[in-house]
Amino acid sequence: MKNDDLVICRCEEVTQADIKEVINQGVTTMNEVKRLTRAGMGLCQGKTCGRLVAGILSGETNQPLQELKPSTSRAPTRVLPLGTLSKTTQDDD
Amino acid sequence: MGKSEIYVVGGGAAGMAAAIEAARAGARVTVIDENEQPGGQLFKQIHKFFGSGVHRAGTRGVQIGRDLLKEAEEAGVKTRLNTVAYGIYPGKRLGLICGDHTEELASPVIILATGASENALAFPGWTLPGVMGAGATQTLININRVLPGRRALMVGAGNVGLIVTYQLLQAGADVAAIVEGLPYISGYGVHASKVRRAGVPILTSHTVLRAEGDETVERAVIAQMDEKWQPVADTEEVLEVDTICLAVGLSPLAELAWMAGCRFSYLPALGGWVPVHDENMESNLQGIYVAGDLAGIEEASTAMEEGRLAGLSAAEALGYLSAEVAEARKIEVRERLAALRIGSFGDGRAIAKRELLRARCKK
Amino acid sequence: MRIEDHPILGKTERRKRITLKVDGEAVPALEGEAIAAALIASGRRVFRYTAKRRGPRGVFCALGRCTDCMMIVNGQPNVRTCVTPARDGMVIQTQVGRRGGEATHDLETESS
Repeated sequence: MKNDDLVICRCEEVTQADIKEVINQGVTTMNEVKRLTRAGMGLCQGKTCGRLVAGILSGETNQPLQELKPSTSRAPTRVLPLGTLSKTTQDDD
Repeated sequence: MGKSEIYVVGGGAAGMAAAIEAARAGARVTVIDENEQPGGQLFKQIHKFFGSGVHRAGTRGVQIGRDLLKEAEEAGVKTRLNTVAYGIYPGKRLGLICGDHTEELASPVIILATGASENALAFPGWTLPGVMGAGATQTLININRVLPGRRALMVGAGNVGLIVTYQLLQAGADVAAIVEGLPYISGYGVHASKVRRAGVPILTSHTVLRAEGDETVERAVIAQMDEKWQPVADTEEVLEVDTICLAVGLSPLAELAWMAGCRFSYLPALGGWVPVHDENMESNLQGIYVAGDLAGIEEASTAMEEGRLAGLSAAEALGYLSAEVAEARKIEVRERLAALRIGSFGDGRAIAKRELLRARCKK
Repeated sequence: MRIEDHPILGKTERRKRITLKVDGEAVPALEGEAIAAALIASGRRVFRYTAKRRGPRGVFCALGRCTDCMMIVNGQPNVRTCVTPARDGMVIQTQVGRRGGEATHDLETESS
């Protein structure tokens, strides 16, 4: 069922069309899709759209899912205000 | 009272079981959980568990949750609640968000028991309020004690879909139907029968085409699908529902494991990308263990046993249990795990788990 | 609709009744319950509108991960109402975009 106006990344409102467009431009990895469309960069950090994006990428480029590693996880894995991050205590090693 | 030497990230079934086991052996353990109270998904499970007596058959998840909390307290497990682990750095350092500041600490052992997240299904209208995960529905009715709506469509006839349908009915809501894309019901027959007896049709080879409504869900359009997963002409049906629950599977919540550098295998039978581990639940990184749904989507009973295995192994690694004592106890746990991975439902998981072990031992 | 009496969970525990102010209206709640629960119990399901398409959003994951349930609480935007406890007198507004209030708020005048 084609419906390219379909929102895939709920947080950043990235549609299926947006994702297919960058794939048409030659993108083949999850990281590239994320960087170029912002899918996965929103407040939930890809928790909701990750698998959906992988499914689209797999279908469009014929790469099996086991070859599509999720986009790189970097700290912080949760959204937090910069002020909170700047107030850090460290344990003494 | 020294610093903790085992940090368990995630206070659900696996995390608590791991903490209890390690603490009983004498280790200093802290459980970190983002919620106000630990227990993970257990407190949403109001139905009685299956299995044998040793697997708490006949006991409701909520009771198991309460028991675990009590045992943890008695064993001297420390908890840090409302605390989120936002990162793992080299040297087994954890980054924690604690209210208005963050903390970084190093730990000799980290047990990741972060559980799973619900999969999504995208269709036109899926962002309308009223479309939610089946687990979300469970949280609303069993924890928050509110009905998400009056009449729901359930998408997915696995155990979660069947159980949450029944819980919706118990709570006083109506369920118009369950649609399942596969040509068969993947949940346990006993749950399916309960739901059917209550008058809810289970439509296999069916899918939801779209959700409609002005600002919230007011209708769902479903249709039958052919073998090529295309809607069959003239089978569209409009259901007057205000809620659409998505029960389309779970995936391990593995960001921390990825960040730490754990090796992963792709195993659909366990939910997709799963961190590899050995028979002690240790990942390919020394001192980092994984347990529960993070190590493969299964059930609460396997989560608790894996947690125990991780807790025992961690305590042994720190010197709190001799190799002989630890091995004897681990063998018991492994036997119980094997007993949980049998039959038409368990076989697939057993095979996938063996694959994980093989992947761990490579190189 | 609140589930007061449940065949397995029993009767809801007694909690103090409080009042929230939601977009100017008084909404009853129970002290300490998730803000989202009080809103849903009062029949509200639209919690915010998205930045690009002004799409209505409400509770989706109910565990604080998806961020669709965010609202402005006591002036603070991006508060996940499904995991934030309700307190008496909280002022809650439908969030529009990344931090705007007032559902009719114009996008142009939002930035400052």
